Amino acid sequence: MSPFDPLREQLAGAAAAFGTGLVDDVEQALKAELEIFPVCHHSPASALAMARRLREKQPKVIYLELCEDLRPVLDELRNCRLPVALQAFATDIEGFPPEWAPLSVIAPITESSAEYQAIAYALDTPGVEIVLVDRSVDHVFQWEPRERGEAVGVEIGDLRPRFAELEEHLLHHGKVRHWSEWWDQYVEQPLVGADYDTYRQVMVLIGSLFRRLRPQGNEMDEDRERYMWTRMREHLAATGADPDTCLYVCGAFHAASPVMGEHLDITPRTATRWLYGLIPSSHSAIEEQFGLAPGSVSIASATWSKAVKRSGVTPYQLGSKSKARALPPPTPLERDDRLSGFLTQPPALDGFDEAELLGWCVDIVRLARRNGYLASTADAIAIYETSILLAGMRNRKRPTPYDFQDAAVTCIEKDVVPGRRDVRRLCEIMLGGDRIGQVGYDSLPPLARDVLDRLEPLGLDLQKRTLSRALMNLDLNPELAPCSDLLWMLRYLLPEGAVKPIMGSRRLGERSIQESWDLWLGKHQRELIELGYEGVTIEQVMEQRLRRAAWDPKATAAVVLGAVEDSILFLGSRRFTDELGARAVELLSAERTVDDAPEVLRRIRRLLAHYRSSGGALPGWCEAFVTAGYAHYCTLLPSAFVDEDTGVRQVGAMLGFLFSMESLAISLGCDRAQLELAVRQSHPEAPAKVALVWAAQFQLGLLTMADLRSRCDDLLNNPLVVPSVPLYITGFVQALEPAPVLTPFVVEVLSGAFGRLPDDVLLPWLPNLITTLRREAPELVPVLVREAGLTYPASLAAVDAWVPPWSAQSAKGTRGRAPVVAGPVTGLLAAHPAPTDAVAALLGCSGEWQTGDTGSGGPGHAEVAALLNAHPEAAGAVAALI
Amino acid sequence: MLRAPAESKYAEELDYLESIDQGHKPFSWRLSPRMVRIFVLGSERSDGLDREIPQKWFGDRSFVERSIVTLASDRGLLLIGDPGTGKSWLAELLAAAICRNSTMVVQGTAGTTEDHIKYSWNVSMVIAKGQSRESMIPSPIMTAMEKGVIGRFEELTRSTSDVQDALISILSEKYVSIPELGEGEDNIVFAQPGFSIIATANSRDRGVNDLSSALKRRFNFVRIPVVTNKKSEAEIVRFRTTELLRRHQIDLDVPPTLLDILLQSFADLRAGAASATSDDQKLESALSTAEQIGVLEDAILHSQFFGDSTLRAATLASSLVGSLARRTPEDLAILNKYWHGVVEPRSKKDGGEWPEFLEGGRQAIATLS
Repeated sequence: MSPFDPLREQLAGAAAAFGTGLVDDVEQALKAELEIFPVCHHSPASALAMARRLREKQPKVIYLELCEDLRPVLDELRNCRLPVALQAFATDIEGFPPEWAPLSVIAPITESSAEYQAIAYALDTPGVEIVLVDRSVDHVFQWEPRERGEAVGVEIGDLRPRFAELEEHLLHHGKVRHWSEWWDQYVEQPLVGADYDTYRQVMVLIGSLFRRLRPQGNEMDEDRERYMWTRMREHLAATGADPDTCLYVCGAFHAASPVMGEHLDITPRTATRWLYGLIPSSHSAIEEQFGLAPGSVSIASATWSKAVKRSGVTPYQLGSKSKARALPPPTPLERDDRLSGFLTQPPALDGFDEAELLGWCVDIVRLARRNGYLASTADAIAIYETSILLAGMRNRKRPTPYDFQDAAVTCIEKDVVPGRRDVRRLCEIMLGGDRIGQVGYDSLPPLARDVLDRLEPLGLDLQKRTLSRALMNLDLNPELAPCSDLLWMLRYLLPEGAVKPIMGSRRLGERSIQESWDLWLGKHQRELIELGYEGVTIEQVMEQRLRRAAWDPKATAAVVLGAVEDSILFLGSRRFTDELGARAVELLSAERTVDDAPEVLRRIRRLLAHYRSSGGALPGWCEAFVTAGYAHYCTLLPSAFVDEDTGVRQVGAMLGFLFSMESLAISLGCDRAQLELAVRQSHPEAPAKVALVWAAQFQLGLLTMADLRSRCDDLLNNPLVVPSVPLYITGFVQALEPAPVLTPFVVEVLSGAFGRLPDDVLLPWLPNLITTLRREAPELVPVLVREAGLTYPASLAAVDAWVPPWSAQSAKGTRGRAPVVAGPVTGLLAAHPAPTDAVAALLGCSGEWQTGDTGSGGPGHAEVAALLNAHPEAAGAVAALI
Repeated sequence: MLRAPAESKYAEELDYLESIDQGHKPFSWRLSPRMVRIFVLGSERSDGLDREIPQKWFGDRSFVERSIVTLASDRGLLLIGDPGTGKSWLAELLAAAICRNSTMVVQGTAGTTEDHIKYSWNVSMVIAKGQSRESMIPSPIMTAMEKGVIGRFEELTRSTSDVQDALISILSEKYVSIPELGEGEDNIVFAQPGFSIIATANSRDRGVNDLSSALKRRFNFVRIPVVTNKKSEAEIVRFRTTELLRRHQIDLDVPPTLLDILLQSFADLRAGAASATSDDQKLESALSTAEQIGVLEDAILHSQFFGDSTLRAATLASSLVGSLARRTPEDLAILNKYWHGVVEPRSKKDGGEWPEFLEGGRQAIATLS
C-alpha cells in the first residue's frame, strides 16, 4: 500500500463531494416547492428563456428577487423609456451613522433582461400578481456595516466567480479580455437556442459552482435567501396561491441555495424615511456601476434584438398593443438530465454571419471618417480580413464583437487620435451605442412636473435630450418673468450645464431686460428627479438648501451673508431673509478670526446699498449687524495688527468696515472713542501693517498729511529700510479701502518709490507688485489707475514741462507763507524784532521778516479779496448779522 | 557568434513547432499564426504540446495577436513605442517564426538613402560589364521581396521623408522596377508571397520625420506600452539577464532581493518623472525595461571582473547611478534627491540590502559630482 493512499482517498473524496454537490444542487433546485427560474443580469439568453417560459406557463404569481419596498415604483415603468433605474433615496436618516446620508439604492432595468420580461408580463396580464421578495432597501443598509461612498447598486443575478484567480484562468484560456466576453461566448451564446430545461439546469449548475468555489463569506447571501423564502411562504399562506402556478425569479447563485427551507425572523425597518422614484439610466452607467466591460450592456442589447428576431419569440413589453398568440397548454417540466449532453458537446455556436460583419466594417469606417480618421474602403476590407484572422487565432469561427473591435483598432488607429473619440470608443458606439433611458412625465416626482409646467410658457420641449435655447424679452413679455425666476433657481440648484445663462445676469440691484438660456433638462433628468426627493417645490428646496448652509456648523458670517443675498435674489421672502440675517449677526459676534473680513465687507456693503436703493428702512438685522460688526472689529483690531497669521488684506477690510460704516454705526449708538482707542492700542511691526495704522491714524485726524509725507521720505532716505519700502506701499494700497482720500497720496508714494528706489530693490519688486495687486486688491486697482491718470500728463510732450502736484505744493509751501495780516500785534512785533529773533535763535529757526500786507488779505488770498471786493453786499450782510 | 539571430538561437524549437503544426499557413509561412503566437508568448498546457515552449516576449497577448494577423494581411506592421519596450525584439521573433529569417534589416538613420531600400550598383562591375542584374546590389528589403520573407525596417521615423516614401510603392504595388535595365532584361523585381515589412518607430522621435498619411495607411500601428506591471517586468529582466550571462559565460546569481531593489528604484524614478513638470526635473533616460537590464548587466560584469564574483547592492547602486546620470548637473541632482529623499528613509525602515545600496549610491554620486 502506498503511503499516499490515505491522502489520495481523502482528496478523491473531497473531489467527489464537490462534483456530486454540484449535481445535488441542481436536483434540489428542480425539486423545490416552487418553480425556480435562475437568471443572470443583462443576459439575453435569460430574457429569451423567460419570455418563452412565461408564454408557456402563464404563471399567476411571480416572485422576483428585488427589494420588496420598490414594488409601487414598478407600475411607473410604463411611462418610461428604458433603461431606467428604480431608486430609493433617503436624506433624513435614523438608525444609521449620520455620515452615510444621503442613502441611495439603485436597481437598473434594461429591456434585454429577464426581470423586465417578468415585470412586463405581470403588469400587463390581468390577474397576475408580481411580488418582490428580497429584503427592503432599509435592510440593505442594516446588513452592510461598512464604509460606503456612492449609491449602492442592487441587481438581480450578479453572477461572477468571486474568485480572482479562477476568473483570470477562465479569461486566459478563453482567450478573452473580460468576464462579460467570456460569459457571452461560453454561456450566453450556447444557451440562446437551448430549451428551457437545459437552460435551467445549466444556470443552476453554474450558480452552484461559483457558490461552492467560495464556501466562506456567503452568510449575507444565505440570509437574503432565507428572507426571500420566508416572504414567499408567508405570501403563499396568506393568499392560498397554488405553488404550481407560481414562478420564482432569482439569480442563478441563489437558485442553488442550501437554505431554502429555513426561516428568518425579519427585523423591523429603521425610522429612516425612504422616498422612491425612477431615474433615467444608461448602458454606460450600468457598466460602470457593476464593473462590466465597456460596451458589454450595449452588446447584450444588440444580441437580444438579434435573438428575438431569429427565435420568433414575441417578447413582453409594457404597454405594447400586440396581443399574444393563442398558446399551447403549459408543458410539464422535465426533470431528466440535460446537463450531461450539454457539458460533453462543444458549444453550438452561431455560424459565421458574413453580412453582419460586412455591415460592421462598412459602418465603422464611415463612423471613423466622420470622426476625423483617414479611413477608406481599403480599411473596411482590411478590418474584415483581420477580424476573421483574429477570430481564427483565438479558436473561434465567428468573430465576436470584441474581435472586430481589436481588428478595427489595428487597422484604423494610427499614432494620434484626430478627434474626441478613439476607434475603440467608436466601435462601442457602433455596436449599439449607449442607450439612455428617460422617465415619462407622469412618473416624475411633483417637483420635476412642477418645474416642467412652470417652464411651459417658453414653448420648448424640455423632455427631449438635446440642448434648447430659450429667448426671453422680459420687457415685451412680462409673463415670462416667473420662468426667468425659476431658471435662476434651477441654475443655483442643478449641476453645471443643466441650465446655463448665455445672456442676462441676476445680481443685487440689476434687472435683465432680455435673457437667453441654454436648457438641457432632458439630459439632466436624474438630477432634477433627485431634487424632487428634497421637497415639493423648487422654492422649498431652495429654502432648505440656504437654511442648511446657514446652520451648518462650519458656516461663517460671510457664508450666511451670501445666503442672505441669494434669498433676496431668488426667494424674495422678507421673513426668511431676516431669519438668515439674524443668524449672520449671531455668527459674526461669535467669530474669533477675521479671515473673512474682506468678504463680509464686500457683501454687507452690497446689501446695504440694495436696501438703501430699494427705499424703506434698513431691516433690523442690518442695523444689528453694523453695530455688532463695529464693536467686534474694534475689539479685534489691536490683536489683528500684531497677529502674524492675519494678513494685510484682512486688517484693511476691518478698517474699511469700521470707517465706511462709521456714520451709520454712530447713528445707531456706537461710540467713536472705541475706534480711536483701538487704533491707539495697535502697535504693528510688519511694515505693511505699519503703513495701514498710519493711514488709520490719518483718517482719525491723529496724523497730518505732512507727517505722513515726512515719514515716507524717511523711509526712502534710510538705506536700512529701503528694501522693505515695497511692503509699506502694499500697506498703503490696502489702506485705500478704509481711507479713499489717500488715493493721491498713494500715487505720490508710488511715484516716489519708482523714482528713488535703487534698481536692485525696484526691479525684483515690480512684477511682485503687479501680482500682489491683482491678487489682493483687484477692486482697488481701477481707483489707483484713475488717480494716476489724473495726476500724470496725458501726452509725451507734456512730460518735460510736468511738475508733480506734490512737489509744486511743497515749492509753493516754501515760497508762499502764511499770509501776514496787518494789525496791532504785527505792528508791535515788527517794531521790536529783537525778542522774537532771540526766541527764534533759541529754537534754531532762521527766519526772515516779512512786511505786513496792508491790503484786505495776504498774497495767497488775492482771489478771495477780489471776490469780496466785487460783491461787497454778501460781506456786508454777514457783518450786519453778526 | 556573439549574438545569434532568433532563428538560429531557437532553431530547435522552431523545428519542433513546424513538425507538429497542423494549422493553415498563410502564403509561404513556415508556421501557422497560432504556432507563431505560441513561439513568441510561450506554450500553455491547454495548447497540448509535448514540450514546453518558453515565453520570449512579455506583454499583452493581444499586441502579439494583432501583429501576427497584420502580417498575414496585406499591410505592413509598424510597432511604435518608447525606447526599450521590446519592439525590435518582437519584430525579430516574429520574423524568425514566420520565415526563419530575421536578418533582412534596414536601419533607419538620417543618412539612409533610397538605395538602402531599393538597390545600388557595384561600380567596378558596372564599368567592366555594364548595368545588369549581376552588377546590381539589392537591398535587404529587395532581397526579402525576392525570397518572400519578412523585411525589417528599424527606426522608420529616423529616416527622411523621401526615403520613407520609397516604401509606399513597395507596400502597395509589391514590386520594384529597375529602370536602368532595359526592357526584357528582368527589370522588375516582384515580391513573392509571404513578403511583408515590420517597421519600428520610436514614439519619442515623433515630429522628427512624421510619416505621410499615404504611408500611414499602408501600415497597421501596434503601440507597445512601457511595462509597468512589476511582475512581468521582473520576468523580463530575469529572462534577459540570464541570456546575457550565458552569452558572457558568467556563472553568477542575481539575488531576488537585489532584483526587487532594482525594480523598486526604477518604479520610484518613473513615478518621479511622471510628476515632473519640466524636462529638467526628470531624468533624460526613458527608464525602460531595457535600461534596467543594462544596469543589471553592468553591475554583473563589474562584480565579475573587478569584484569577488558576487553581486552586491553597492555595485548595483553605482551601476544605476553611472548609467542614469547622463547630464550634469540635472540628472545628478535628481538622483541625489532620490537617494536622500527615498532611499535613505527606506533603508532605515526596511533594512536588508537597502543600507548598502544607499552607501554605494552615495559614493557613486560623490565621485561623479
